[in-house]
Amino acid sequence: MNLEKEKLLEMYRKMLEIRHFEEKAFELYGQNLVPGTLHLYAGQEAVAVGVCANLRKDDYITSTHRGHGHCIAKGAQLDRIMAEILGKKTGYCKGKGGSMHIADFSVGMLGATAVVGAGIPIASGAGLSIKLRGTDQVVACFFGEGASNQGTFHEGINMAAIWTLPVVFVCENNLYAMGTRQTNVMLIENVAERAVAYGIPGVTVDGNDVLAVYEAAHEAVKRARESRGPTLIECKTYRHKGHSRFDPATYRPKEEVEEWLKKDSVQRFKAKLLEMKILTETEVDKIEQDVIAAVEKAAKFAIDSPCPAPEEALEDVCA
Amino acid sequence: MRQITYRDALREALREEMLRDKTVFVLGEDVGRYWQGAFKVTKGLAEEFGDERVRDTPISESAIVGVAAGAAITGMKPIAEIMFGDLSALAMDQIANQVAKLRYMFGGQTRVPVVIRMPFGAGVNIAAHHSQSLEAWFMHVPGLKIALPSTPYDAKGLLKTAIRDGDPVMFFEHKLLYPLEGPVPEEEYTIPFGVADVKREGEDVTVVATLYMVHKALAAAKMLSKEGIDVEVIDPRTLAPLDKQSIVNSVKNTGRIVIVTEDCKTAGVSAEIAAIVAEESLDYLDAPIKRVAEPDTPIPFSPPLEQFVIPNEKSIIKAVKEIVY
Amino acid sequence: MVTKILMPRLSLTMKEGTVVEWFKEEGDVVEKGEPLVEVLSEKATYDIEASASGVLRKILAPAGTDVPVAGILGIITAPDEELPELEAAPAAPRIEAEEAVAVPERKPAERIKEPVIASPAAKRLAREHDIDLTKVRGTGPEGRIVEEDVRSLIEEVKAIPRVREVIPLIGIKKTAAERVSLSAQRAPQSTITMEVDMFNAVKLRERIHVSYTDMLAKAVAKALAEHPIINSTLENEKIKIFADINVGVAVATERGLIVPVIYNADRKTLQEIASVLKKLIEKAKQGRLTKEELTGGTFTITNLGMFEVDVFTPIVNPPETAILGVGRVVERPVVVDKQMVIRPMMHLSLTFDHRVVDGAPAAEFLQKVKQAMESPDTLLA
Repeated sequence: MNLEKEKLLEMYRKMLEIRHFEEKAFELYGQNLVPGTLHLYAGQEAVAVGVCANLRKDDYITSTHRGHGHCIAKGAQLDRIMAEILGKKTGYCKGKGGSMHIADFSVGMLGATAVVGAGIPIASGAGLSIKLRGTDQVVACFFGEGASNQGTFHEGINMAAIWTLPVVFVCENNLYAMGTRQTNVMLIENVAERAVAYGIPGVTVDGNDVLAVYEAAHEAVKRARESRGPTLIECKTYRHKGHSRFDPATYRPKEEVEEWLKKDSVQRFKAKLLEMKILTETEVDKIEQDVIAAVEKAAKFAIDSPCPAPEEALEDVCA
Repeated sequence: MRQITYRDALREALREEMLRDKTVFVLGEDVGRYWQGAFKVTKGLAEEFGDERVRDTPISESAIVGVAAGAAITGMKPIAEIMFGDLSALAMDQIANQVAKLRYMFGGQTRVPVVIRMPFGAGVNIAAHHSQSLEAWFMHVPGLKIALPSTPYDAKGLLKTAIRDGDPVMFFEHKLLYPLEGPVPEEEYTIPFGVADVKREGEDVTVVATLYMVHKALAAAKMLSKEGIDVEVIDPRTLAPLDKQSIVNSVKNTGRIVIVTEDCKTAGVSAEIAAIVAEESLDYLDAPIKRVAEPDTPIPFSPPLEQFVIPNEKSIIKAVKEIVY
Repeated sequence: MVTKILMPRLSLTMKEGTVVEWFKEEGDVVEKGEPLVEVLSEKATYDIEASASGVLRKILAPAGTDVPVAGILGIITAPDEELPELEAAPAAPRIEAEEAVAVPERKPAERIKEPVIASPAAKRLAREHDIDLTKVRGTGPEGRIVEEDVRSLIEEVKAIPRVREVIPLIGIKKTAAERVSLSAQRAPQSTITMEVDMFNAVKLRERIHVSYTDMLAKAVAKALAEHPIINSTLENEKIKIFADINVGVAVATERGLIVPVIYNADRKTLQEIASVLKKLIEKAKQGRLTKEELTGGTFTITNLGMFEVDVFTPIVNPPETAILGVGRVVERPVVVDKQMVIRPMMHLSLTFDHRVVDGAPAAEFLQKVKQAMESPDTLLA
């Protein structure tokens, strides 16, 4: 696929933003500044960025408990995401959602639901809305391989399929649902095979290769936009950290972790861009410094932001 | 005024709102042109508005509600029908965790204008999976509104309000009420949420009743009036928001209250109303609060069994007489 | 840059963690992201990575240390950086096994109050009208009092004035109430009055600066000495005549009426009485009178003259036999030596226990007091 230099650099920058953002969140957690827990996206950047690079601002996405990467890839602001993670008033949800429930409706990010698989029918609903309103928007629905065992996966994808809804279902297969290996809970190797059951295309791609993801998503988004119905894309990937901030991930063999770290999407994309002469080492450094500065600024904004007033807990229950 | 059935009143509300607002659409199992709703509430709507806006779904309650939620947060006003209220259990995550919480979790960024219509209630011999009254489940979930009309007039006015409301509304329809006829004006009207209706004025005892039980309470009141007992019957019409003030004010006048609901007594709607009355008007009570509700059993099949568990005029009269002395 | 390595919160409930092992020693070069130290939470062990590159300058929590969440485990600095002064990781506060709280055995039944079975509405109405529910007959089931029962009672007792406030009878007020009711119940009492020409007493008062009460105390003491039957008490069907003449003087204070006593008033000069009484009244107003100063009286004088009272019927202060009520001194036209003149006049009211004396001896006694007051120079003797 021939992508413009600008597009490639933008994708690289987004991936780097997610990586550094997650490292910063991890660090702030270590400083006891993050209430609750954190599910980090580090390692899976190619999926969010590869998919969202195909979307317009008025397109929608739905997200999961591991959702920071989706927010950033769809164009949400780093500072307001970080502020939400820290439970601040300036966060996207005014401190009511936290890490697992970030939404930014202004960029079509319809929110992260922390009930595994619950976002799938909601994405189909957004697809139905598009169809009924007669626009050419598209929905990308992110979920993990664990969610593909939920009833909502079946119900939601089937509805999108029978009604030819413009939804791209993106399964981020990081091999583990918390500590449960995929092989313990499904007999098929590729979640994408389940697409057959709904009569829609199902493709499996290397989820750590952003261009592979981009390409698959490009085809799926095009299909959706042309009212030809949904696609199921499975992206094989791996999370760098444990399930949550509490999880040392001892259930993952060391060799497996090392193997996947070698396939790190950010490093691979950087090498590729250098090889393609789209980037120079100097530019690499400059982008990295820019991104680090942006993330530091977001962290400072979040830390300096006020907490919500306690009684704000009573607001926003009903419209 | 013309008389129409509860069913037709509901259909009129759906039709008028679909004509008024093109973002309103209906989805559910067999709501479309072939079956036209298990209780025929959507009869004729698919012919008029097309299959896209009167949409048959697979048997997927969770996705029916989930899809409604997704459509609602992206500009549509879906009305989802769950064929029998009991089946809402299949959609419980989407109702209680998604529809009810999306607005709050996301800090007020979105509205969730979903109406979930559900035929409810016992009395037609279809046993445990199609008969239970589950209002209390939803009353316990912040973020949901609950409407439960007892007359054709209320059915139309409340459904129109529900559709126009920006929040999710659980809309309870009692199966036995569908054929009930009552006055409904030709002109446009809506009924605000949180405003109870005094279905009968009385001085001696307040009876709060919902849905089909409103009619049982009115019948009981008629019989009691022959014995000189003057019963006030209040229908809250919505449980969330609940018109506490009307109930409390009535109790302040009569000093006595009987709460009649078709759900199970334990932790039921009647328990909540009793607690409010105790909290806010204890000093006006001249007798213990009485509750007439179903015993804590699933709804049985055989007619004598089923009739035994459903509150009726006799059980209401008995409760009233226990506290009017 | 100085980077502190902190104990992370590794579970939703973690309060502290234990340092298991440092992978680096002080002085070692560390790379950002490199495992630095292993810690143990209640759930699992966890490797903490270096959050900056540099030198591990200081280990503050060696292996085996318990450190609270966010406590400092160690410091990373640039190779040649000054190590700032830092406090060692605070030891995690240990929670001692809580001592079992002794719960006194108490059966629930013992705590149930004796109930008045009444509806809340009946209780409210009773409260509003200050009606004692134990006095209401209930017509509800099992005798339950309902609102209507209280309402009927209110109709019945509508004539009773409403109560603004309730002042409990305590302290002096309670004692006084008990004493007057005892007096009124036990002793049939009679009051006689006489008018006194205070012409001379006024002059004496101006001359030697004593009060009318001082003079009256002295006059009473003298009269009692001459009429000992008045200086007595009736007890178990016996009249006890006291040897001592102790004259009490009633004083109104903020907390109620009290009666300090002038002991052996008959043996004191008028000036002595004046001085004793002055002290007693002062102490009475300050509430500093001792028990001794308030007991042992054999006769009481009570003065309402300052309120423009002329005549009244005081109640005998038990166990005494008589009490003298003193009215105001007021100028009146009177006939003296067949001439109408204006004189300062005063009424005396003597109440006495009719069981001890009858009218005549009481009158004689009062006459003695009157005469003494009209010739007050005799009081100076």
